[in-house]
Formats: sequence, structure tokens, C-alpha cells
Amino acid sequence: MNSKFPRSNDFIEAINAYELWSFLAWQDIKIKYRRSKIGPMWITISMAVFCIALGIVYSQLFKTEIRELLPFLAIGLVVWGFLSSALGEMPNLFVDNAPYIRDMRINPLTIIFRALGRNVIVFGHNLLIVLGIYLVFGIWPGWVGLLALPGFLLVVLNMLAIAIPLSIVGARFRDLSQITQSVLQVVFFITPIFWFPRLLEKGSWMIAINPAAYFIDLVRSPLLGHLPALLSWGVSLLTLLLSSLIAASVYRSKSMMVAFWV
Amino acid sequence: MSSIDLQHVNLDYPLVGMGSRSLKSRLLGTATGGLISPGDAVPVVKALRNVTFSLSKGDRLGLVGHNGAGKSTLLKVLAGIYQPTAGAVTTTGRIVSTLNISLGMEPEATGLENIVIRGLLMGMRRSEINAKIEEIASFTELGDYLSMPVRIYSSGMATRLAFATVTAMDSDILLMDEVIGTGDASFMDKAEKRLNEFLNRSKIIVIASHSDHVIKKFCNRAILLEHGQVVHAGTPDDVIENYHSRSVSNVGA
Repeated sequence: MNSKFPRSNDFIEAINAYELWSFLAWQDIKIKYRRSKIGPMWITISMAVFCIALGIVYSQLFKTEIRELLPFLAIGLVVWGFLSSALGEMPNLFVDNAPYIRDMRINPLTIIFRALGRNVIVFGHNLLIVLGIYLVFGIWPGWVGLLALPGFLLVVLNMLAIAIPLSIVGARFRDLSQITQSVLQVVFFITPIFWFPRLLEKGSWMIAINPAAYFIDLVRSPLLGHLPALLSWGVSLLTLLLSSLIAASVYRSKSMMVAFWV
Repeated sequence: MSSIDLQHVNLDYPLVGMGSRSLKSRLLGTATGGLISPGDAVPVVKALRNVTFSLSKGDRLGLVGHNGAGKSTLLKVLAGIYQPTAGAVTTTGRIVSTLNISLGMEPEATGLENIVIRGLLMGMRRSEINAKIEEIASFTELGDYLSMPVRIYSSGMATRLAFATVTAMDSDILLMDEVIGTGDASFMDKAEKRLNEFLNRSKIIVIASHSDHVIKKFCNRAILLEHGQVVHAGTPDDVIENYHSRSVSNVGA
């Protein structure tokens, strides 16, 4: 093992350390189960209640069939839950892991991988809501549903690329966490989650410029049994490219400063 | 192969205070055209200045100096935690640092899980840890406590666990901030024996200590740091003598 500065191969090294971050991610979930019998299911239950409440109210407000709105809403919300909780914890991530960062040489990317891994497992729990929707409304997406997998993978990669600059800048500027929370709150309302995109006039810029709308479409559409828009793939690949470039440049210039900042 | 090579290492430590912690005020300041006054610049401490030395197999280096002289910072540079502002650090071999062994425990995880976590964090593979876990567990003499969360451990028990885990590692380069121990009288002999074995397995050791006794006992080389600079290098006896004579002359002046 030859360690030279700067760390240019951290990414490969972090992938090789899969034993570390996957163990820690599972550990986080196991501890949730130890604290209470149903563990992370609390999130699932509260999300399910939220879905049903929003579904009932908005199906009356929008005068839509609940059997049309609820599946759309529930799956959208499950995906949104992943996006917002993963991004929401990033700005404070390194501060929360300060004991590790200050006292041993730890690859910052493994910390990000651990947090993302934990969120993916929680997302897996929340898929029970989707299963419940299938059962109650007798929906079955068929083979198209499998497209949700590559879609979700693309979303996770996007999250990773956004998480890197977000967590590094968050270690330096402590109010980034609050800023992120406010932005996420606004994005939740302007993203077609509890309202249908068709309610806006065609080609509305509100959806067009919102990456979250494309991310959600990538996973939600296949799970509802139709193909995601080709545009969603295109835009998500583009945002991945852009945010990866930002991530690489922020990481290269600032990742070594994190130990001084936390 | 194991080696350490430092060439003209400088380290400026940025002191990020609460005032410069806000992204909002930074952005608003720019947007309103407010000049960032020199007062807003992050102050730096010159923690290390022009440190150069190299170590190879068999070297046991003691770091001597006052509080704040740069001993711990130097260890952190060697560990790869801090990147030097200028100069080059090259290390070969697996580095184990025991800068603060009781930190980095997951309080909710059990003792056994913490052994695994610590091992993984130090770069061991799962198979390697599994081969050692039984020996570590039996050394701690914690018995059934090992399957309980570390949160409920007394501080002595937690230290014992951390000590047993760290000393089970095989390191090429060992970095220590003060000599680790368990502080438990009945445990002391056992711990000292284990520590010695651990030290003997390591090919290079760097220890920072305030204790003359420790430096003389464990080291075969030493350097004296003052304000981040190496002011004297040589044998442990020589360096410690120099250190004390400086302290006396400083007091005299």
C-alpha cells in the first residue's frame, strides 16, 4: 500500500472498502430495530399515513379518483422520501462523523457511501407501501416494472454526485444544512408528487427545470406500469454528468480540508 | 516494505471560527457588493514548519516537546489525516494510528460489533477480523458484556475493548499519542505484555509523549519540536537532555 497525496484514487478505494460501509449501513438499520421492534418501519408507517391523508384530501380537491391519485402519490412520495432524507443529512454528515475524521485516516467517500446505503435500505422498507398499493388497488406493473431498477440506480448515482459537494461544503459552512432543508421543502411542493403534471399547462417551466421531477419519473412510471419519459433518462444522465464534474472538482480541491473544518 | 519520508513539510492550520461559518452571510456579502475585509480571512496557525526526516524499518521515533509544539499535528500528518500545506509526505506500509483509542466507538453497537467496525475502519478485511475476534474477545475478559451495547460499559471496560482491538492489529507503521494503556491495576501486567508484542510487531513506531521514561524506554531516535519546528534530533537521551536544558534557560530568561 502506497499512500501519496493528494488522494486521487479515493473513489476506487471507497468501492473496494464495500465491507466497511455496507457493514456500517446495515449496523445503522440493526440499531434502529434494536431500539424499537419495528425499527425503520416507523418511517414506513408515518409515510403510509401521510400518503392516505394526502390522497383523500387531494383526490377531493382535484376531483380525481382516489384509485388514480393514491398509487401515483404513494410511489412518488416513497421516491421523494429517499431523495430528501439522503440529501437532507449530507450537509451535517462530516460533522456528525467528526470523531472518525479527526482521529484516523478515513476516506470521506466511505462515510457518504454508508449514509447512502442506509437510505437505500430504508427505501427498501418503504417499498412495502408500494406493495400495499398493488394489493389494495389490484395493480400490477408487469415487465415494465423492472425498468424501475436501472432508473433507481441512476437516481442513486445522481444523489452520490450531489452528496459529495454538499457534504464537503456543509462541513465548512454550518448553515448549509438549514438552507438545504428549506430548498428541499420548496422542491417538494413544486415537484409533481401529490399533483398530476397534466394539471399544469403543457411545457410548463416549473417541471421542466426541476431535476427532482425527472428523478421521480424514472422510478415511479415503471412501478405504475408505464415507460418513463425518454426525457427523464436524458435529463438525469445530464445532471449526473454535470454534478459529477462539480463533485470531482470540489473533492479534488477541498476534501483534504474536511479534517480541519469538522 | 515500510518507510516514512517527510520533505520540508509545512502545515498551516486554518482556524475556522463561528463568524466565518455562515454561507448565507458570505453569499449576501458578495451579492451586495460588500468587500470582504481582511478581518474576515480565516486565520491560520503555522503548526509545522519545514519538518524533514525519514524513517525505515526498525526506527522507533519519539516526539518530544511542549503542549502545542506540534507533536499531535505531526502524527496526524503521518496518519494522512492532515495534508501538508507544502512539502511532501511519502509513506509505505499499513499505518495504524492510536491517537485517541476510545473515540470512534459506536455506542449503540455491541462490543463484538465494535471490534468488527474498528477492524474495518483500520483497513482490515472481514476474514482477517474473523480470524482475530475470538482472541480479542477473550483478552478483554468482558464475557457476556461483549454482546451488549458499548453505551452501558464503564469507561474502563470501553478502554479495555478499544485497547484489545487496536493491539490485535498488524501494523507496518504505528503512530501513538502517549502510550496506550488500560489503567486497570489487575489488568496492567497482561496489558503491558500485549502492548510490547504489539510494538515489536510494528516495523516503524512514532510515539509522542510527555514522559521521558516512555521516550527512553520505547524509542531509539527522538526529535524535539518547538513551535512546529524540529529544533533538535538525535538519540532519546540526548534530545531529552536538550529539551530540559532549553526549558531551564527559557525559565531563566
